[in-house]
Amino acid sequence: MAASSDIHPFDPDRLRDLLVATAGGDAGAFEQLYQSTSGKLFGICLRIVQQRSDAEDVLQDVYVTIWRKAAQFDAARASAITWLAMMARNKAIDRLRAGSVERHSAPIDLAEDLHDPNASTLALAETNETNRRLDACLGELEAQRRNLIRIAFFEGATYEELAARCGAPLGTVKSWVRRGLLRLKACLER
Amino acid sequence: MNTPVGPTQPGAPDPNDVAAEYVLGVLDAATRRAEQERLLRDPMFSREVAEWEARLTPLIDEIVPVPVPHALWPRICAAAGIGPPLDRTAPDLRARPRPGMWQSAPFWRWLSAGAFAAVAASLFALFVLPQVAPPPPQVAPLVAKMVQDEGKALFLATVDVRRGIMVVQPTTVEIPQGRVPELWLIPPGDTPHSLGLLDPSRANAIVVPRELIAALAPRAVVAVTVEPPGGAPGGKPSGPIIAKGEISLL
Repeated sequence: MAASSDIHPFDPDRLRDLLVATAGGDAGAFEQLYQSTSGKLFGICLRIVQQRSDAEDVLQDVYVTIWRKAAQFDAARASAITWLAMMARNKAIDRLRAGSVERHSAPIDLAEDLHDPNASTLALAETNETNRRLDACLGELEAQRRNLIRIAFFEGATYEELAARCGAPLGTVKSWVRRGLLRLKACLER
Repeated sequence: MNTPVGPTQPGAPDPNDVAAEYVLGVLDAATRRAEQERLLRDPMFSREVAEWEARLTPLIDEIVPVPVPHALWPRICAAAGIGPPLDRTAPDLRARPRPGMWQSAPFWRWLSAGAFAAVAASLFALFVLPQVAPPPPQVAPLVAKMVQDEGKALFLATVDVRRGIMVVQPTTVEIPQGRVPELWLIPPGDTPHSLGLLDPSRANAIVVPRELIAALAPRAVVAVTVEPPGGAPGGKPSGPIIAKGEISLL
């Protein structure tokens, strides 16, 4: 588990219970859910939309949607943290695509190894098997594919933006990412 | 549009391609919208998207939480049609500090009155203000003065070990444009653990992760580095230390 300003935020059972209670209209559970997860979801939004005021608007939209649509959470289909994190990512990316936010995009150096095997130093003890497997499978990819996938995930960058930032042709970038994703899936399913 | 590349079975386009691209976030606005509409009517596609979301979720671990402005919760409550937070008596299973106090503007104005006032106020808030539960056993308060190389104090920290709360009061801190200050806890002989980003313009109440509470002890070091927006990449300090200090008993 990464560093966190929240008390044990990602205890999956607790998050699931809070989300289910929120679906039932329990405002106290919703507030606890907010206390436990808002720092992380804000971090997710900020990486994508970058401007604090935009990220705050997105985060507000995220939690209002959680309050209204918590009943759509299906514990059999997704973990609570996946549901919450992906909602934050999706809303942040939608906002980015709407073109209303300003963003600073640094050039990408594909040769640089962005993969940090010690990224989860803070919580190695808690890093579970799923995390280790994704880490290992990303590690098997060629550096440029891995880097593009990581940047796309964290920043919500389009193919066009990735191509411009790393100075490679669009078709090449698409091919790297797609092949990287296929390899990743195959590795995870091994 | 996106032509699938590298189908897993010859001749059969792998629909996972688009689901993966959608989840990764690389699709342009028009394609993304089209796929979002497809999500509503194509259960198979929707399942593939859910599978990719689960596959990539572990990456979220690397994102450092960022303290959310206190004003946001009341805004969310208003937009969601929930009564204002101070009017509710939400039973708090974790015995966390009442949000009312931490979000109260007068409290923060009072706390910001000055460095000494800040420490006094924090101590008062942490140990004297009545809590919902009966008064807890007294624990000696811990403090840390984080200083620059030249010895000037930039941040003052007060620690409530029992609740796992650290109040960090900046003095006059200059943060380079486009950078943010990040707080670290470094137990003796250990690597830095991020406690999140700081707002240099006001006092910050940091909820220390449960697994680090035991490390809040004399001789542990707290430090502030300047990092890119969103926090140190990979959860490890990347920027220079602008202030540090050792935790000690008050």
